[in-house]
Amino acid sequence: MPSATIQSVQLKVGLEIHVELATRTKMFTRAPSPGYADFDTAAPNTLIDPLVLALPGALPVMNRDAIEMSMLVGLALGCDIAKVTSWDRKNYFYPDMPKAYQISQYDRPICGTGVFDLPAAASGGEPDFDAPSTPIRITRAHLEEDAGKLLHESPGGFAIDHSIVDLNRTGTPLLEIVTEPDFQTADQVVLFCRVLRTLCRSLGVTLGVMQRGHMRFEPNINCILTLSDGTTVATPVVEVKNLNSFRSVRGAIEFELADQPRRWQEDGKVMGRGMKITRGWDDKANRTFIQREKEDAHDYRYFPDPDLLPLTIEREWVSEVRLRLTESPLNRTRRYMKDLGLAAKEALALAEEHPVTQFHDAAVAHAITLGLAPDRAGRLTANFILQNGQKRVNERNTTLAARDSGAAPILVSDLGISASQVGELAALRDKGLINSNAADELFGLCCAPENQTASVEALARAQGLIIEQDAGALQGWIETVIAANPKVADDVRAGKLQAAGRLMGEVMKLAAGKADAKNVRELLLKTLGQG
Amino acid sequence: MSHSSRADALTAHIPAAHGMAAAVNARQASAVETTRAALDRLASRESAIDAFLDTFPDAALRHAAIIDQRIADGESLPLAGVPVAIKDNLVIGPDLHTPGDAFGYGGRTTCGSRILENYHSPFTATSVQRLIDAGAIIIGKTNMDEFAMGSSCEHSAFKITRNPHEPAHVPGGSSGGSAAAVGSNIVPLALGSDTGGSIRQPASYCGIYGLKPTYGRVSRSGLVAYASSLDQVGPMASDLSDLAIATQVICATDPLDSTSSSRAAEWHLDGAGASSLVDAMASPITGLAIGVPAQARSASNHPDVTRVLNDTIASLQRIGATVVDIDLPMTDYGIAAYYIVAAAEASSNLARFDGIRYGRRASLEPGQGLVDLYCRSRSEGFGKEVQRRIMLGTYVLSSGYYDAYYNTALKARRLIKQDFDTCFAGTSSHPACHAVLMPAAPGPAFKIGEKSSDPLALYLEDVYTVGVNLAGLPGLTIPAGWTSALPRLPIGMQLIGRGFDELTLLRIAAMVRNSQTT
Repeated sequence: MPSATIQSVQLKVGLEIHVELATRTKMFTRAPSPGYADFDTAAPNTLIDPLVLALPGALPVMNRDAIEMSMLVGLALGCDIAKVTSWDRKNYFYPDMPKAYQISQYDRPICGTGVFDLPAAASGGEPDFDAPSTPIRITRAHLEEDAGKLLHESPGGFAIDHSIVDLNRTGTPLLEIVTEPDFQTADQVVLFCRVLRTLCRSLGVTLGVMQRGHMRFEPNINCILTLSDGTTVATPVVEVKNLNSFRSVRGAIEFELADQPRRWQEDGKVMGRGMKITRGWDDKANRTFIQREKEDAHDYRYFPDPDLLPLTIEREWVSEVRLRLTESPLNRTRRYMKDLGLAAKEALALAEEHPVTQFHDAAVAHAITLGLAPDRAGRLTANFILQNGQKRVNERNTTLAARDSGAAPILVSDLGISASQVGELAALRDKGLINSNAADELFGLCCAPENQTASVEALARAQGLIIEQDAGALQGWIETVIAANPKVADDVRAGKLQAAGRLMGEVMKLAAGKADAKNVRELLLKTLGQG
Repeated sequence: MSHSSRADALTAHIPAAHGMAAAVNARQASAVETTRAALDRLASRESAIDAFLDTFPDAALRHAAIIDQRIADGESLPLAGVPVAIKDNLVIGPDLHTPGDAFGYGGRTTCGSRILENYHSPFTATSVQRLIDAGAIIIGKTNMDEFAMGSSCEHSAFKITRNPHEPAHVPGGSSGGSAAAVGSNIVPLALGSDTGGSIRQPASYCGIYGLKPTYGRVSRSGLVAYASSLDQVGPMASDLSDLAIATQVICATDPLDSTSSSRAAEWHLDGAGASSLVDAMASPITGLAIGVPAQARSASNHPDVTRVLNDTIASLQRIGATVVDIDLPMTDYGIAAYYIVAAAEASSNLARFDGIRYGRRASLEPGQGLVDLYCRSRSEGFGKEVQRRIMLGTYVLSSGYYDAYYNTALKARRLIKQDFDTCFAGTSSHPACHAVLMPAAPGPAFKIGEKSSDPLALYLEDVYTVGVNLAGLPGLTIPAGWTSALPRLPIGMQLIGRGFDELTLLRIAAMVRNSQTT
């Protein structure tokens, strides 16, 4: 047991991330791939063919889409794309891997080193765009094939005396991204995981459904301990396997951060060759548990796969793929903040889903053609999408999920209202022609199939939702309400401004949506001598 | 040539495949007749040689009737009605992918192994499909050393095939069943596979032609892998023209095999002014230069092999060839490099036979688990030679030994290729050679059981053949002579050519053949 006491603890984390690519077919064969939206709910053992089953005589043929998707991710992370990349066999026996070897990339991965600029992480793993960003070094990203699934109890949780093999996932392309140990807080790691998921989804390279294991995280965690005698020691690296939620990533890191100094005090073990430990995550107990003590227990006998030739990647090909790089969600977020004056939270929410971003950009563009200033257009459109739109999206998704738990959730862009209608709504609001209640009602009307090409202003007029611009009418409604509520009016006159709310409500009721709340309040207070 | 009368009966001649196809295409004979004749020969000769593991008499006749109908409908097919035999490491599915062509061949693909004793493939090997598309009729699947590991056909889990020239002797291996089926003239043509000499050595032992094409010429799709970087499917035939026709039929770029070459069907026939490989083959090479490596006259050769080598050199010189002394210094390392590379790849390729999805599954005692299932299924399913090579391959790929063995073997492999390249390019001391001549094996067919107790002696059988696989080059065995003492056994010589230059080998073989018959 070490005698020195610990003065301070510095966390150090590197990440391995598996991304299940959304190619239509598998990595080395034409069998449909469950990472693709059309096949992700296929019945067990239906996405198979002679290669997936490793029947004798079946040979692997590389899927070019998987290569291009990997190049896209590599380019987005600032990685070098290999001039020559090649395939190796990782040999081990397991029933979920029919060939008894996994085709992977050992020493010539498709993506080499890179650096990714990670925004500063606020607590909770939200980005803080005001603080300086942190460069995260990417070690490599390589392609490999996924294994199948083994069930040791029957679906429904009944005990069985055998295991069930489902080979649907066998051979699905996986991109494994490896970072240097550049993370110093759990917040940074969680932010990176989130940013990477959003990035990969926006590039269209993965469905990124966490519950389906489309992204799996394996943090390598250790701590640098500064001791009372001024020296430092590093605790053994712990690799936590197969985390598929941000919550578990955070939980595993926080647990290790607390537990590793304690374990060091107990056993004095420090980082070194052969000291790496593999641990799993217990989601219920919120702690990691030991899986394998020493890393070199397996000898995978890697060697070049003789069935596949090395792949030469011409620079022209890289340039072609680079053209397909869309604006990254982080850059989009920064642009929304800078050009449209949105808050970070709103900008992030809008930038998360690519279709929503496109919808938002189109709505803003339309509002600008209707005469709005960009920041005004951005603010109003963002409000429509994130409030009026998101409210309806949530309702519909709840209904959908109740009917079919496997149903794909919808987005604002799927509601039925068009981007130009949202632009029109923004313009009507900007000109003070509709109030917020009317805007919400109109938003709902535009989602109805029969109104999807309708002019919003025409709809508003037909529904009597245009604000009464005649000041006389408004003054008339106010006078009526004051007369009907003399006591409340007196309270306001006496300075109890909170009493004005009740009068405002009465006026709005009388106006039946043709009045704007802000205008009503101003005129009401002025009338009662408080303006 | 004097044979025993029994051997005469076993090898009695039949028309060549190209003659059969011509007759069927001209409707002078029917495919049903050629097939029935082959089935009659099978019935009378097979019991003495045991070349086949499975035969398809009914499917073959059904298929032949369909071929006859297609000919009657005006089609012309290069192998119309030609009965062929297929080595049992090429898969044949029940449905041959052409609508209406489900002839019901199917059957097992055993690779000569207990572990695949009852394995039925759902799909068909590309090379087999191409023969079928060319009008060939499949008579049956032939015996082989288990998973193509062996040089005698004694390592089949099911039967020992005998040499049609002398049934007490082996037919060679691993494509011994195909060699014996052709050597006994049951069929004029068969497919084999060659990883370290498995077409060329049995062709020599059985007195027939056998070609290992350039790596990448023939699709490996549907060939059960032994060593993927060395395996190549090739034709075996009694007649050189038949060999050329079959070569052109099976060589093609295949999208199902990543190592299939884009040049797979390139022949450069224009130079010879011909439209097919068999036509181009007829034009002799002027200024022919043949390299004979010092290593071909190894002291460990059987004296008759060295004599036949000298006879072949003499007949080449008679037809005007320059015979050049060359050196292939890396030949000595060939066996070692081959057995490391092949075993390494085999240890991985054969790992899929685990008893989980198909093939032999051991029954377990109570309390035994997954690892027991693997160990027992594989121990029961694989023969000793296969187990030996799996262990060897596992060892050479292990951490700590990889560089000493596998990487060193890859270096030797590159140097072996360089040796050949130098010989084809020429040096200051010798002109560029069109081909290299050496024996196909150090001896004639040995007696059944003679070498089965000594695996290393059997490995040394491959000394002249493995270099060609390691270098990816084409190698052609031609019948070249006979042993001087009884029993009279055939001895073949091997011609090795530049990559993708099978045509030159065929032209030289035709020149040699013509010089012998005139």
